[in-house]
Amino acid sequence: MSGNLEDVLPLSPLQQGLYFHARFDGAADVYSAQVVLRLDGPLDVPALRRAAEALVARHANLRAAFRERKTGEPVQLVAKAVRVPFEEVSGDVGEIAARERAHRFDLARPPLLRFVLVKGETPDVHFLVFTNHHILLDGWSTPILQTELFALYLTGGDTTVLPRVTPYKSYLAWVARQDRQGAEAAWRQALEGVEEPTLLRPAASGGAAVEPRKLHVTLPEALTTALTARARAEGVTLNTALQLAWGLVLGAATGRSDVVFGGVVSGRPADLPGVEQMVGLFINTLPVRVRVTPWDTLSGALRRVQAEQADLLAHHHLGLGDIQALTRLGALFDTVMVLENYPFDPDAEATDLNGVKVSGVSMHDATHYPVAVAAVPGRELGVRFDYRPDLLTAEEAERLAGRLKAVLEAVAETPDVPIGRLGLLTGDERAAARALGTGPVVGRKAETVTGRFASVVAARPDAVAIRHEGTSLTYAELDAASSRLAARLRALGVGPETPVAMLLERGPHVVVATLAVLKTGGYYVPIHHSYPSDRRAWAFTESGARVLLLDAAFADPGFAHDAAVVRADLPDADATAEEPCTGPATPDGLAYALFTSGSTGLPKRVGVAHREVVAFASDSEVIEGGERVLVFSAHAFDASTYEMWGPLLGGGTAVIAPPGELDTEGFAKLARDEGITAAFVTTSLFNLMAAERPDAFAPLRRLHTGGEAGSARAMRAVMAACPDTELFNVYGPTETTTYVAFQPMREHLADRSAPPLGGPLEDTVLHVLDGALRPVPEGVTGELYISGAGLARGYLDRPGLTAERFVACPAGPPGARMYRTGDLVRWKDGLLEYVDRADFQVKVRGFRIELGEIEAALDAHPYVARAAVLARQDRPGEKRLVAYAVPHEGLAPEPDELRSYLAGQLPSYMVPAAVVVLDAFPLNGSGKLDRAALPAPGFSRTGRPPATPDEERLCAVVAEVLGLPSVHADVSFFDLGGDSIAALRLAARAREAGFEITPRMVFTRQTVAGLLGGDDPELGLDVLLPIRTRGEGAPLFCVHPAAGLSWPYFAFLPHLPGPLYGLQSRALSEPAYRAPSVRAMAEDYAARIVETQPSGPYHLLGWSLGGLIAFEAALILAERGHRIGTLCLLDSFHSQDLTTDEREVIPELLQSIGIDEKIAGDPSAPDVAAIMAELRSRGDAFATLEEDQLLAVYSTYENGLRIVDGYTPTGVAPAPIVFFRATRGLRADSPSPQTWSPYATGLEVHDLDVEHHFLMEPHAVREITAVLAARLTK
Amino acid sequence: MATNPFENDDATYLVLVNDEGQYSLWPTFAEVPAGWTVEKTADTRQACLDHINEHWTDMRPRSLARAMDS
Repeated sequence: MSGNLEDVLPLSPLQQGLYFHARFDGAADVYSAQVVLRLDGPLDVPALRRAAEALVARHANLRAAFRERKTGEPVQLVAKAVRVPFEEVSGDVGEIAARERAHRFDLARPPLLRFVLVKGETPDVHFLVFTNHHILLDGWSTPILQTELFALYLTGGDTTVLPRVTPYKSYLAWVARQDRQGAEAAWRQALEGVEEPTLLRPAASGGAAVEPRKLHVTLPEALTTALTARARAEGVTLNTALQLAWGLVLGAATGRSDVVFGGVVSGRPADLPGVEQMVGLFINTLPVRVRVTPWDTLSGALRRVQAEQADLLAHHHLGLGDIQALTRLGALFDTVMVLENYPFDPDAEATDLNGVKVSGVSMHDATHYPVAVAAVPGRELGVRFDYRPDLLTAEEAERLAGRLKAVLEAVAETPDVPIGRLGLLTGDERAAARALGTGPVVGRKAETVTGRFASVVAARPDAVAIRHEGTSLTYAELDAASSRLAARLRALGVGPETPVAMLLERGPHVVVATLAVLKTGGYYVPIHHSYPSDRRAWAFTESGARVLLLDAAFADPGFAHDAAVVRADLPDADATAEEPCTGPATPDGLAYALFTSGSTGLPKRVGVAHREVVAFASDSEVIEGGERVLVFSAHAFDASTYEMWGPLLGGGTAVIAPPGELDTEGFAKLARDEGITAAFVTTSLFNLMAAERPDAFAPLRRLHTGGEAGSARAMRAVMAACPDTELFNVYGPTETTTYVAFQPMREHLADRSAPPLGGPLEDTVLHVLDGALRPVPEGVTGELYISGAGLARGYLDRPGLTAERFVACPAGPPGARMYRTGDLVRWKDGLLEYVDRADFQVKVRGFRIELGEIEAALDAHPYVARAAVLARQDRPGEKRLVAYAVPHEGLAPEPDELRSYLAGQLPSYMVPAAVVVLDAFPLNGSGKLDRAALPAPGFSRTGRPPATPDEERLCAVVAEVLGLPSVHADVSFFDLGGDSIAALRLAARAREAGFEITPRMVFTRQTVAGLLGGDDPELGLDVLLPIRTRGEGAPLFCVHPAAGLSWPYFAFLPHLPGPLYGLQSRALSEPAYRAPSVRAMAEDYAARIVETQPSGPYHLLGWSLGGLIAFEAALILAERGHRIGTLCLLDSFHSQDLTTDEREVIPELLQSIGIDEKIAGDPSAPDVAAIMAELRSRGDAFATLEEDQLLAVYSTYENGLRIVDGYTPTGVAPAPIVFFRATRGLRADSPSPQTWSPYATGLEVHDLDVEHHFLMEPHAVREITAVLAARLTK
Repeated sequence: MATNPFENDDATYLVLVNDEGQYSLWPTFAEVPAGWTVEKTADTRQACLDHINEHWTDMRPRSLARAMDS
């Protein structure tokens, strides 16, 4: 140590966090803390100045400055002596204090504190403004300093009267002794399964532009006493009670039962002697997770929260940033809570200082959180809410405060109540939620479809009921025809509650048959015409029908059965049913049963009663009298209820589309020619027509669309093209009779990004409930339940399933039920908005699909051990079903064969677009299938067909090796699913077929055209390795690890859609070359990168040594004015002491390519022949190396180690660093990714459960590419 | 997002029945809504579903069944 330097110390983790933020963030005041004291009485100013100086002289850490070493490691430099800023000024103390806070500290210039003494209006009044950088001190330290300051004032600066200082240095030593990895493991475990941050204001930006506003709440003494007694009785602290309460309030505000917020801890380790009198930065804000189920009692939850917090006590030394990095979720919370148990109350009257009285004026400790809750213990517990007025209104803050108080009351008084019974909303809020969900109350009387139809026939016998391909049927004719058919059905024993199965082509006879069934009192069960025959047979059996209605198109239903068949399209000469028939139907009797998807593997039948059909078809918003409605949907789809009964129960006309599909042109023509006034179209058809012919709907007065999440853009296009058409967004599950929510869009779409589902229909109630069946407030996501008109009877013959989906309604008339939809929704501006599905049920092309059903079908294939199905959206707007199968050991089913198998089992809309066969499923931390990590299916299987006889023959060989029916000549072998083993097989098979093809050529040329075209055998060892030159998205440049080859990056191919280039060591192509430095390699590669892609943004990646080169290349490219898009380091560390001379390079190199080092024998004289033999036997890319090339790899590796030794980065990265850390085999002295912090403006760390050398293992590659793919396709 | 209160295999449930003889699975934490009686006291989810499958053999509303059968 020399000159004024007393000590050089490391930073505590918390100081490190503050240091980096203070260095890289703009705002100054966030890191300034301040205390303002009022001093009344005759003040001895020189004595106070001496006291301030003595105080700084006494505490070494108050004299610290903060700088970086050349390696980037920050250190604190403690000066032996500093001049203590002590200014005497006059003026407005508030303004001066604000100016002081805004005056930024220079971290390099000690001391990072200032005293300003403001003269008051009279000579006996002074204000002492003490401002410091947060990196020096925390709020717990200031009262200690204050006490010492005034003690020194009284002694004239004599420090001997004060107790000996426990230096901050001893805390730093304590930190160094802590088990960092153990702490990381504990936090990782504590936060396991947290899927998203808990944000009260998700849209809020970070900075604190506004001064927080304060709201004070006081708990009455009786409640405070009861709460304290309750905490004691449960064996928990008051802090735990407050944390649980705040967790529950947050849960209510966000609709979740697993929340995280910040808890402020003193951070002073109990096992450090003298810690309570220490001065410095110890305070920490750490995640507090409160996870409850509605079944938990308050007392049980109290004890659990306490136990979970206790487990983390030993790990409070880890910084928040480090903890958040473990979760990969970024900021975990935006609210904090603190129990302010300072050593003494800063507001308390101080002792008399020779006639000077000290009182606290204000403390300023900036927070940038939308809400910070501070509890101040006392006879009456005080709770202060600091909230950002730009993010919360005073009313919202008061509501949070009111809720917190209510929960604390419940904790104190009713500890045994299940949490699910706590009423967290006020009566007003509950009433508001209820009002939003309640449709107009009509109280319609229960009727039958047939009864209503009969009254229409009586009123308008000659009106046209049906139009079809130019023919008409009047109501009287329809009535008569259906009565005749009904008589035939009755003769076959059809009566009330009897199912009649129907398999019919679209046409008027469908309506006749449907009516006929209802007139018998029976109910109809349409079988979807797109079902494959196995499925039809199953559906027929499941329906329980003994009578089957068929027509010419389905004269052969495609399955064996012993039912009575009635042809609905052939008149029966014998039948003469003249009597008008309203029949034995009853309002509560079943009208129909529709099949709907089920997660148990097979669809189930939803049974709907007559009265619900009539209620729906009578809704004054849905139907206008006399409409001409298009009948187009499949009979088995619940939209047919609208299309058929909408017009026919209101005296309108059902216009039946011709059989088959309807294209946009056909739709437009039909609408025009037939004068159609209303129609329903599915979301998919609507979107298609909006793009192709938005004006096709112009003749319609009313257009309904729904089925899946609609597109606001498509709706705007249609509304613009059809000015006289009112467009309605409709929503409703089959279980609630077609629609329950309905909204005209012209008025309500406005500037919303997604069309709202709308409001409830007549006599219907929509309930948006949380996980405890309590209504959620407007804006909060909950699950939708539906009660009132439209509710189906249930799932026929499935009592258990019915009882879990149609459940008791807590808010309806006595005994009412409600249907649980599984849809996540929220109220926004009075209308329902769709958020997501709660389960794995999805909608694809308008069909509701339970993925479990497809998985069950795939699972049933004899070759398949495990199956998973995803609805993927790999391209915007294009949702496709993709199935994944893991075969039984030793079996290798072909993807296409599995797909055909599914096509034979499932209706066409449920057949996945692609099937991917995998060796194993990617698993998440808890051993469950990690759906997000399932790879996208082959991106590009289209291409140029073979053009020459040679190409044709080689394509056939490739197809055979890959088990594909055919392949194109210009598609990469690896894109088609080829791997290194298959490459060897291909080379062998190709040689048999007379082609001179080596395995390495397969790696380097990839396509059939390439394999036959080029004659450059050294391509694979060139500096630039073009792995794939085409594709969607930006190119990714990958720099080789120490062995110099970029071949391992071929593993990225199936997972990344875009161009991919490797950069390889020049020594591979120029054996004598030795790169002098990392920087030199980077210069070399940067030049090749720019040749390939002339301008940025550049996306760079490097593994191990490659990461360092990529880092330098990024600097070089940025220096030349290029933008860097991505800088991704795979387990790369700088500033390593690798002591090259003593290393055994050969064993390491072998390990890096996955070979047992023992093969090599004596490291000083390795057995090259044995190594070569081992490589050959392995059958991967390295097996294609020649001996001299292996030696080049060796020399590259050795040289790599030499130049990495002692390398330090030469600048700050021009883009945030995305870092993948290999966590297997980490040692206590392993470097941390945080060593990059000084060289990064951002650092995103992802942990991979793999060893450093195995980062190209499939599961690691999947995780890496999942992160990269999003960036490259942005 | 909170787990749906009807889907928790680790929790306890009741079986409720209303005047129409319709059954409902019901989480034990919640108050029993008006018009429903407890048919089976707290048990596992599966036991409750088994009970329902065994006892709810006629899924017609009771008033309809009565009218049809008389």
